Amino acid sequence: MVYELNVNGNGQSVDVSPDTPLLWVLRDHIGLTGTKYGCGGGYCGACTVHVDGSAVRSCQLPVADLEGKSISTIESLEARHPELVGTWVADNVAQCGYCQAGQLMSAAALLDANPAPTDQDIDAAMTGNICRCGTYARIRAAIHDAASQRNAGGASE
Amino acid sequence: MKSIANLSPDLSSDYLSPEMSRRRFLGVSGMLVLGACLPVRGALAQAKAAAAFEPNLFLAIDGDGTVRVTAHRSEMGQGIRTALAQVVADELDADWSRVEVIQAEGDEKYGNQNTDGSVSILLNYDRLRATGASARLMLRQAAASRWDVDVESVSAVNHEVIHAATGRRLDYGELAADAAQLPVPEDAPRKNEAEHRYIGKPVVHVDAGDIARGQGVFGADYRLPNMATAVVVRCPWLGGGVKAIANQPKGEPGLISIETLPPAPSAGPVFAPLGGVAVVAEDTWTAIRIARGLQIEWTDSPNRSFDSEALCRSLREAVMQPGTPVPGSGKGDVDAAFAEGGTEVSAVYETAFLAHAPMEPPVAVADVSESGCVVHAPLQDPQSARGLIAGYLGMDPGSVAVTPTLLGGAFGRKSKPDFALEAVELSKRLKRPVRVQWLREDDIRHDFYHAAAAQHHRAVLDDDGKPKAWLQRSAFPSITTVFAAQASAPAPFELEQGFSNLPYAVENQRMESAGLRPGVRIGWLRSVCNVFHGFSANVFADEMAAAVGRDPIEHRLAMIPASGKLQQPGMPAPEGHELDFGRLREVIKRVRKLAEWDRPRPEGVGLGFAVHQSFRSYVATVLEASMANGRPRVSNAYVALDCGTYVNPDTCVAQMEGAVAFGLSLALYGDIGMKDGAVVQSNFHDYPILRIAEAPTTQVELVPAQGRLPAGVGEPGVPPVAPALVNALHAATGTRHRSLPIRA
Repeated sequence: MVYELNVNGNGQSVDVSPDTPLLWVLRDHIGLTGTKYGCGGGYCGACTVHVDGSAVRSCQLPVADLEGKSISTIESLEARHPELVGTWVADNVAQCGYCQAGQLMSAAALLDANPAPTDQDIDAAMTGNICRCGTYARIRAAIHDAASQRNAGGASE
Repeated sequence: MKSIANLSPDLSSDYLSPEMSRRRFLGVSGMLVLGACLPVRGALAQAKAAAAFEPNLFLAIDGDGTVRVTAHRSEMGQGIRTALAQVVADELDADWSRVEVIQAEGDEKYGNQNTDGSVSILLNYDRLRATGASARLMLRQAAASRWDVDVESVSAVNHEVIHAATGRRLDYGELAADAAQLPVPEDAPRKNEAEHRYIGKPVVHVDAGDIARGQGVFGADYRLPNMATAVVVRCPWLGGGVKAIANQPKGEPGLISIETLPPAPSAGPVFAPLGGVAVVAEDTWTAIRIARGLQIEWTDSPNRSFDSEALCRSLREAVMQPGTPVPGSGKGDVDAAFAEGGTEVSAVYETAFLAHAPMEPPVAVADVSESGCVVHAPLQDPQSARGLIAGYLGMDPGSVAVTPTLLGGAFGRKSKPDFALEAVELSKRLKRPVRVQWLREDDIRHDFYHAAAAQHHRAVLDDDGKPKAWLQRSAFPSITTVFAAQASAPAPFELEQGFSNLPYAVENQRMESAGLRPGVRIGWLRSVCNVFHGFSANVFADEMAAAVGRDPIEHRLAMIPASGKLQQPGMPAPEGHELDFGRLREVIKRVRKLAEWDRPRPEGVGLGFAVHQSFRSYVATVLEASMANGRPRVSNAYVALDCGTYVNPDTCVAQMEGAVAFGLSLALYGDIGMKDGAVVQSNFHDYPILRIAEAPTTQVELVPAQGRLPAGVGEPGVPPVAPALVNALHAATGTRHRSLPIRA
């Protein structure tokens, strides 16, 4: 089946079976490998992307349900959330880095909904994202730092 | 002329070299956020055209001044690509923004590439300083010659050689071609501590920018033209083969082939693939979907009856009986001291099988042709993988190129290249590039498991609570069981991981061990046997202190000699790496202060302490914990680390933070079970990993390097975590948990 998708603002036409999860459409058919496979069951969050602005697990979303929706991935995150990408680097958050695309996408959805999250807000929003290297404390710090920068930038405008 | 090879001295003599400059500790603040600027993307896999100046294997300088450092160790989050480059760039006095890191293929010419055992800095610190220092001297010589001045009158600073008297200056790039004509000096002067600009400073990892933009290339991301993807269904029990496929799929769109792979023997060749049925398809989802639908009948194997509960019961029984004495370990008369009586403490500790569960499941890309084989995969040891692949294919190793991608976590799992061999076999059969993608279920069910273990400790105490006599027993299936069909006894290298080298002064002491053969593959997992040995010894020490009502840290300090070095049975530690009682005491005192150990905590909140020396480093940990809604909750972690000389202090801190999370995962959740030969768990719902809300704030204090030899960082933070948690929960609630995971 041919599906017309909107990924990072670009139209993409893919010819795949209807049950193909968005994760594998992105990775194998569109060539966007920033979104990672971690568990295939929606447990780990490595495959997190945004669909119509919400953070979702792309391993759980069949392509057939996605026509007409706006999909965005880690590859387009910096344009919308430069502060997050910047603090993630400056705070040296990543260790192995494999889960970090999913962490960043969850963090971005959090900041979109809540510009000044508390630790508890962060824990609640990020609980679906596993980091085996244990970078959690830096993730919290980087989200706070990004929120501050974003809010300071907004105030000065 | 000095040969280039002389810049890469023999490791056996090099890594013990005591020549280390003294340097002071620098705080983590003021981190150099330069790594993000590095143009390292895509550099992992490529070998560039010849450089203008390439004084040795690890360093090249292009005519435009780009400095290329070759990282020959694998990056799995421990920051080694950054640290190796920091060392070279520092001695070269390079501008960090003009440094690129290239990933080396597996090749003997680099020396040891087995990224394992927390030894990368230890093995390479000296030789990479020499590399940078030699090149710097040669650049100065080239400039002096061009200007016709004395070499002592020119200096090399931040990518330029400067003649102060005349103000002339030349960029390294402009001197590269001239420098290449010079002999490589034997003893180029190295910087002193005060001159270091990258060594000992916090530097952001070179791959941080790529990772934060989704551009890092992990094994799963590597692509070759015309590449097929395979998912392999493996027999649930070790050693079973394919008897029949009941529903052979045909004509499915995207399906290329169904391939039967023979089973590996259960012991040796060690890292051979397990065998199974490979579904090879044009895309990953097609392979997954078809693989999930296969109905496969498997042949039997002796491992089909393996039951982890029965094995753990046997381990418990084994430690209640006399075992094999650790050679050279007997001291005094333990039985006579027990007969004399006194306060006696006795306990059995148990820990479960663990899976590594790196976030990136095993994955490998192979392209086998008649002329050779190319492999790109997240491998901890590309060099040994290359040898195994060459042997497997009957090819000359020179025709096999194995390049590590970024490793999406490893923790020891990716030191075994079985998954790469699967890709090699399939590529050979299909005559096109093949990527083998393990599913999470495959990863959890077909790992090289961290061994389940039991220890028995028994001591009789004097009036101060110090042990007059101490009997230790440890039983576990040895890692050697994957190497030899008959092996079962724990090996000395396993017992020297926190069992036969406890740092406590005891007059009468006996250490015994026992091993059992398991029905699964055993492997090394971050910190290896230190995990369970560090657990039992630290909880038992806490129990001794509790038995006489003493403060656990005071009691521990009383048991550790005031100074000197441990005379351990078995292999003596290399000079400079002996367990030093003074350094051990120092990390204990530092963590006591850092945690404000004497500050009273609220009712129901307890502090627990543990200390462990492993991988030549000293780590003391205090956890602050309580019970909340029937589950342990850790609010704060405090860690003091002495790893000798270090390169990137922020990496050291990050590794301790990560070790706390890793240790808490295994303490709270780590439990792999086998029934009828098959692993019961399959994914993160039944093999949970610590999540963000459970992760404590971790404060880390680094002991100043003081010119000491570099030691390990990636692993030694893990062993003290679980016992510190158990001890904290005892302090908080009075309940003592003696088996892991904690079932509260």
